[in-house]
Amino acid sequence: MQSPTMLRDLTRRHFLSRCSMGVGSIALSTLMADGSLTRRAHADENHSIKNPLAPKPTHFPAKAKNVIFLFMAGGPSQLDMFEYKPQLTALNGKPIPESYTAGKRFAFMDSSHRSDLLGSKRSFAQYGETGTWVSDLLPHTSKIVDQLTFVSTCKTDLFNHAPAKLFMNAGSGLFGRPSMGAWVTYGLGSECEDLPGFVVLQSGPRGPRGGAVLWGSGILPTSYQGVPLRNHGDPIVNLSNPDSISTQQQRQLVDAVGELNLKRLVETGDDEIATRINAYEMAFRMQTSAPELMDTASETQETLDLYGIKDPNESSFARNCLLARRLVERGVRFVQLYDTNWDHHGGTTENLETHLPEKCKDIDQASSALVQDLARHGLLEDTIVIWGGEFGRTPMGEVRESTGRNHHIDAFTMWFAGGGFKPGITHGVTDEFGFGAVENPAHVHDIHATILHQLGLDHHRLTVRSQGLDFRLTGVEGANVIQEILS
Amino acid sequence: MIRTVYSLCFFFLAVVATAQEADTSPRLEFNRDVRPILSENCYYCHGNDPKHRMADLRLDVRDEAIAGAAILPGDPASSLVIDRIHSDDTDQLMPPVESNKSLTDAQKETLRRWIAEGAEYQPHWAFAEPKLADAVDLSDTHPIDYFVQSKLHEHGLRPSPPAELHTLIRRLSLDLTGIPPTPAEVDNFVAAAQQDLEPAYDALIERLLSSPHYGEKWARWWLDQARYADSNGYSVDAPRQIWKYRDWVIQALNNDMPFDQFTIEQLAGDLLPHATTDQKIATGFHRNTQINEEGGIDREQFRIDSVFDRVATTGTVWLGLTVGCAQCHDHKFDPIEQREFYQLFAFFNNQDEPTMKVYPADVDPAQLADERNQVRANLSAFAKDHNEELSEWEKALTVEERQALSKGVRQALETSMDKRSPNQLLAMFEVAIDDSATYGEWLARDKQLDVQLNQVPTTLVMQERASPRETHRFINGDFTRPAEEVTESTPSALHPMEFHVSSEQSHDQRPTRLDLAKWIVSPRNPLTARVIMNRVWQQYFGRGIVETENDFGSQGSLPTHPELLDWLALTWVDHEWSLKSMHRAIVKSNTYRQSSINRPEIKEQDPNNYLLARQQRLRLDAELVRDMALSVSGLLSPKIGGPSVFPPLPDGVMGQGQVKRAWNVSAGEDKFRRGMYTFVYRASPPPTLSVFDAPEGFSTCTRRIRSNTPLQSLTLMNDLSFHEFATELTKVIERDGLELAFKRCTSRMPSHDELEILQKLDTLNAARVLINLDETITRE
Repeated sequence: MQSPTMLRDLTRRHFLSRCSMGVGSIALSTLMADGSLTRRAHADENHSIKNPLAPKPTHFPAKAKNVIFLFMAGGPSQLDMFEYKPQLTALNGKPIPESYTAGKRFAFMDSSHRSDLLGSKRSFAQYGETGTWVSDLLPHTSKIVDQLTFVSTCKTDLFNHAPAKLFMNAGSGLFGRPSMGAWVTYGLGSECEDLPGFVVLQSGPRGPRGGAVLWGSGILPTSYQGVPLRNHGDPIVNLSNPDSISTQQQRQLVDAVGELNLKRLVETGDDEIATRINAYEMAFRMQTSAPELMDTASETQETLDLYGIKDPNESSFARNCLLARRLVERGVRFVQLYDTNWDHHGGTTENLETHLPEKCKDIDQASSALVQDLARHGLLEDTIVIWGGEFGRTPMGEVRESTGRNHHIDAFTMWFAGGGFKPGITHGVTDEFGFGAVENPAHVHDIHATILHQLGLDHHRLTVRSQGLDFRLTGVEGANVIQEILS
Repeated sequence: MIRTVYSLCFFFLAVVATAQEADTSPRLEFNRDVRPILSENCYYCHGNDPKHRMADLRLDVRDEAIAGAAILPGDPASSLVIDRIHSDDTDQLMPPVESNKSLTDAQKETLRRWIAEGAEYQPHWAFAEPKLADAVDLSDTHPIDYFVQSKLHEHGLRPSPPAELHTLIRRLSLDLTGIPPTPAEVDNFVAAAQQDLEPAYDALIERLLSSPHYGEKWARWWLDQARYADSNGYSVDAPRQIWKYRDWVIQALNNDMPFDQFTIEQLAGDLLPHATTDQKIATGFHRNTQINEEGGIDREQFRIDSVFDRVATTGTVWLGLTVGCAQCHDHKFDPIEQREFYQLFAFFNNQDEPTMKVYPADVDPAQLADERNQVRANLSAFAKDHNEELSEWEKALTVEERQALSKGVRQALETSMDKRSPNQLLAMFEVAIDDSATYGEWLARDKQLDVQLNQVPTTLVMQERASPRETHRFINGDFTRPAEEVTESTPSALHPMEFHVSSEQSHDQRPTRLDLAKWIVSPRNPLTARVIMNRVWQQYFGRGIVETENDFGSQGSLPTHPELLDWLALTWVDHEWSLKSMHRAIVKSNTYRQSSINRPEIKEQDPNNYLLARQQRLRLDAELVRDMALSVSGLLSPKIGGPSVFPPLPDGVMGQGQVKRAWNVSAGEDKFRRGMYTFVYRASPPPTLSVFDAPEGFSTCTRRIRSNTPLQSLTLMNDLSFHEFATELTKVIERDGLELAFKRCTSRMPSHDELEILQKLDTLNAARVLINLDETITRE
């Protein structure tokens, strides 16, 4: 292995040889001042070795350091999980009063969209000291309601999946904008030296609609884009050595490339080469650290049971939750889990009778285990856990062979835990059908502003300039930190 | 990160300005010294947009600033602006605290001095026509060197010595064709240049400019701006065919099509009189927008989104203006009203968006269709003529005879007479009648014609509608909130549109896209030639003369060398918009040919190399990283154009999106094509390209980011394609030795030390090291 000292000596040797040729050297003064090529670069503007993921100072003291976003892709039905609406049940089958829907647009307006109310068939009860209503679909979540912060009046702008997912992630429905994870790693860097700063995990039968743009870095450099950790094959694309190459050969490769690059650095004075030398070292470390991370079999049986992981080698939302804890433990800044097939329109493949309960079973125990596990590892206070989808579902039903609900953007539920969020409260009140907010609407931009705030970032100041504008996660029309949900 | 660079630019210019004051205290110049301060700190609330205007005061128009007593020329002490920027009262202080903006003491002093000097305004530099610098003798030196060196001289810097000859040929080959020179090409050039440098260099330039790979290299530059990719985008992201457009760009550039024509054909080729197939293909430029095929969507919403994109892209690519900012409100900084955005929108709102079949040049589809009709008529007539004969034969068949017939004929016999296909009839005729050969020939011809008529490549094009759609301004850019109707027109702050009613395709005497395209390439347009030349310059030096290559408006940065930019723009138009002539001009300059090696005095005075005291090392673009490895290993296919190809991908990449897409790896030479031919699904782009910052075609990309990440290292070390290239390179090492293999990658021989490091490795690892070197993937 090439130690920092060796690199420094190399540097000095080149420096001297260069000087003896009577040619001034450039990069070296800065390299020598640092004394180490491989040591992590800190957020010093004058630093010669630019590590784009080096930790950066916050705008103001932070309440949280990391984020785990559990994304239920498709739009979970808040009315069958969290929102207890007896009036909706009482008026089941009756048309929704037109006052609610006048001027509104919905997905599938020309085909399957219906205007008859659909009462939930689930049974609801109150849990915890707070008496929070939860349906029978979530027996585990209901046990930890006092640790959670519910927002039942979340509101978004877009009602088709891909644009709405982008909106929830990037504050805009347009492709090519940075996602929240990219913004956060851009703003804060990462505390982890051998894994990417923004990691994405996926479960469910297919990828989320929108694909890689959901964790893209848009107009920010690609250093900040989310890196999907895959459940099959290499956890990171091209992580393993080619078949015939041993670890020793790989080390020799990295060393030789480093030495030759260093010579070129001395020759040309181009600091980018120093960044590249660092990148090779981190890549090599990732080759070891990422497989270690994925090795969940090393966890205790009790932990596996807590999450409900039956086979630690099999991919599942539960295993991804455990991986999320392991990632945060290692200093990874932003972890996002996508679980797909939450689009319960009704019909044979995604309905409220059969498939919503299955999805809930997939995520209920593991989500609540994650919160508890983070807490007992002392990580919850520094980590914001977010649960939600791109939108919710309508109080009106879609009655096909089986029932479902259409996409709904005016009010839906998300929950938060840890990271300085105020536990045991429900923020916002919706009307008798759960159609819209009666009190405290919480727009996605407000939610983003609040998350950034907890991380010590002022959403006004976290900007990047492109095409003549200062782009920000929270858009141009203003957003407010939701103080009421913070401790 | 972009932001940082951007502010540094201002910082630098400010320093320059201050340094100049100390010497001679020349009068302040509004555009250079004052406008950036006002634009960044004041115009948001006191600028062009009446909706955000506070206190009914605007500072972007001199008369209004004076009328509001904000600025009293010659009397800074009484000017409210000066009062307010120095205020101790936070309620009075400008810019307000909550704007997070503040002025430095130097900026405050600049404003004071400028008012004292009379508060002269200037029109925004980019809206004034380019002009040749006064009293400049360009006969002795290359004009580029003249402008660059005068600026260097002002700052006490000297240009760098010429790059070494092997560096120069590698640089030029990569810049003009994207393919490195072979060791033999390097040796030949070095030998010739040592004899007589200039003729050797000229010959090299001409050889590379006439290489068909020139068109490929520069097509990719344009395709970024055209947001080209091979799928429909959004979540469903189905594949599309539009590679004919890509090939059109390659051909147009190889033929050095004048840029005005290049522009007109792409924006309005379908509207040209007797438009050719090629001219229609060219309109694919604006068909590179995404198409949403998700269930439950409002199609009109996404059609309008694509028109928004076309307006914004046209503004960015050709005008260097952030026209898209005016989609929801009047532009806050530049003179573009929201209404004017929708007047531009109207030009792009009158098209159908068909898919066009593209026949080879020697095929006339109308003639083929006629022939096919004739052949089909012949087939029917033949069948009719022999109908009786056939039924008699059928009736006469014994059970044994029937069983002896082929399966095909027996099936035909079981099909009712009027439902028999031509194939079935043929099978029957062959056994039942004597002269069946004619029928067989006609049928074969029919099938051939069908293939020629239908199995041809298609491409997406624009087609003007017979009657235009109504266009309305949308309140807040929301298409569900139409306001007043608008018609086609161009922004009033720019040159007027010359519109001749005679234009035969125009709707009821309204201008069309063709008029818009001609307006863009009008010699009176102050923007387009500058904007495009700036982006050409950016390819050679890593940064434009105007750093904000997509914003020449008041929020953009100022040109570092305004006279040079104007010289480039005017010379280009003078040379009838020939891109090749400008490439020639730029690469012949000493500024281009100087060494990229950094020097202490440059690092100290101009660390970001704005003044160009040296060339710039540039990491190769994503596609060229692949091309480089293919070239050095000897695998590169030189084939130009054609359908996009599917080189091997890491497992699992195509499963990321909503719909899992097939990726059937191309066989033969298509496995080793240049990176620009790799099929790009927008929603799951090939990781080896995106990891090196290739754009995904969601919106126009006028400058690529050059990131430098561990994932790039993993790609070059471990990706199966790069490993295959390295394995192939071992054959070169075994055949020609390490030195020559090194030279294939870097165009130079390794030093003794370098060779020693490589010799310690096994051959495969040595080859891998060569593919992974920073120098290999960098153009120096």
